[in-house]
Amino acid sequence: MLGLTVVKSGRYILNEIDISIQDGSWTCLVGPNGAGKTTFLKVLLGVEPYLGSATDSGIQIYKNQDRNIAYVPQDPHIPANMRVYEYVLLGRARIDGWGVENRKMKERVLETLEIMGIFGMQDQQMDRLSGGEVQRAVIARALVQQPDLILLDEPTSALDLHNQIGVLNCIESLKTSGVTIISTMHDITLAAMYANQIAVMKNGRVLMHGETAPVIESDELKNAFDNRIDVFKLEGGSSIVMAIKEPQ
Amino acid sequence: MKLSHKKKEHNDFPTVWRWEITVISALCLLFSALLAVSFGPIHLSFTSIVKTLLGIENSISTQDRTVLLYVRVPRVLLAALVGSALATSGAVYQSVFRNPLADPYLLGAAAGAGLGATIAFTSSTHNLTGILPIFAFAGATIAVLASFFISGRFFADPSSLVLSGIAVGSFATAIQTYLQQRHTAILRPVYSWILGELTAATWSIVAWSTFYISISFLVLRTISKRLDALMLSDEEAFSLGVNPRKLRIIAVVSATLLTATAVAASGLIGFVGIVVPHLVRGITHSSTNRALPSIALVGASFLVIADLGARTLVSPAELPIGVITAFVGAPFFLYVLRRKRMGHNSD
Repeated sequence: MLGLTVVKSGRYILNEIDISIQDGSWTCLVGPNGAGKTTFLKVLLGVEPYLGSATDSGIQIYKNQDRNIAYVPQDPHIPANMRVYEYVLLGRARIDGWGVENRKMKERVLETLEIMGIFGMQDQQMDRLSGGEVQRAVIARALVQQPDLILLDEPTSALDLHNQIGVLNCIESLKTSGVTIISTMHDITLAAMYANQIAVMKNGRVLMHGETAPVIESDELKNAFDNRIDVFKLEGGSSIVMAIKEPQ
Repeated sequence: MKLSHKKKEHNDFPTVWRWEITVISALCLLFSALLAVSFGPIHLSFTSIVKTLLGIENSISTQDRTVLLYVRVPRVLLAALVGSALATSGAVYQSVFRNPLADPYLLGAAAGAGLGATIAFTSSTHNLTGILPIFAFAGATIAVLASFFISGRFFADPSSLVLSGIAVGSFATAIQTYLQQRHTAILRPVYSWILGELTAATWSIVAWSTFYISISFLVLRTISKRLDALMLSDEEAFSLGVNPRKLRIIAVVSATLLTATAVAASGLIGFVGIVVPHLVRGITHSSTNRALPSIALVGASFLVIADLGARTLVSPAELPIGVITAFVGAPFFLYVLRRKRMGHNSD
């Protein structure tokens, strides 16, 4: 992406972003609310118009539906009365066409439900599931699509810690099949545990982008949060990013 | 990645839709139609009906034959057409607007048709047979087009369309009320039309209704499977290879053509567009749009039976068919709501 800019109502949502995402990597966008992370995902999806250039294999990505991209929004719309199986099967439409249903597809859907830990719920209605189960079903729908690129907007926001780890482990397993993963996450500690690359965003700009370790330890990360965070390195090499509570 | 062996033994392969359901729905319609054609002030046996329709032999009197071919059959056919149109339109609107309570009159079509009919009644008291459907059709179509234009730059955004429909409907109702106040003599015929009626069914009305409804069904047939994508957010639908905005416009225009045709042919018949999709989806446990053919067939059966009730329950008088559909539809709707609430409470 070169000079990527999105302007709405005179406000710069994204401002002259220059970034290149490596195929097969997991890049996590972090930053405060209003940094432009979700808008950036929508640009990558191809639904958000922009100024500048954003290409995939040399082709501009706006309204380009030739790419197989799975999108997991922060607040997915859950159809009323739809069964889990029907919902996850929607993801196969991208590859097999709409209205097609064969044994191989059914097996794929059931395998994916098992991987996501919700096998046995295929006949339950989506609006009867817990928040964690819904999120797993939404990600399952994205996984059965067998995408080249998967975009996840806060995939763990509605989950308890146990489910967060479980879902992130499932997403991580995609890296072995060469899928490019781009996600946004408020929990920078979890982002550091799973992503290879981190991009720090603030006010529509990318302050820093690179390998996880140097970005986590950088001043740009602290500046993005107005120096209200601190980074602690554990013995095993992992980092914990915590908010600093100012004395009253 | 393979299913664990233990789980595969107990593996059930669910399916989204079974074609047997569509066949059963078609058989229900056939039976309902035969029943409706058979019963009335003059009772005709099934065998004599079938023989007469197939031209095998003249086993009924000339008078009965006239009643069969020029009164009963066109009426039953019209009831089937209108029922299928309203049920399908309701189902499509529920998908497009992601709202299980959406009905065919959501975008102001009912109010627009009512205004059109009122204008027709005020303009002429003689032989409204020809102009009433045209005015009602035009009123419904103009109201929906106005909803689209009023929704402005959010063209085809579901929530703004609904709000525009409410505004347009309110405006049309206000004008209608004003006209009725100025021409009180038309109050009764307009009210009677609003309640819905199939008494004026003729082969001519059946013919043009079939034409417009067939066009809509053909268009919906080509897009019905992709309509499932509209039940997700627009971004998710885009990621599945669908243009949600374009698809929504095509679906709404087709569904509106169904609604406008039904209203022009029979007045305002309520509840079919809400009750039938819920009934079919509740029985089949499938919420995808592959249920549309069955929804159309069950909608047809529903209205055929409702019309049978309308003309036989207080025979020789007739009840307005909208009363029958409301009488059945409203308690059913409450039952569905209660079941949903009980289901959520038990969780």
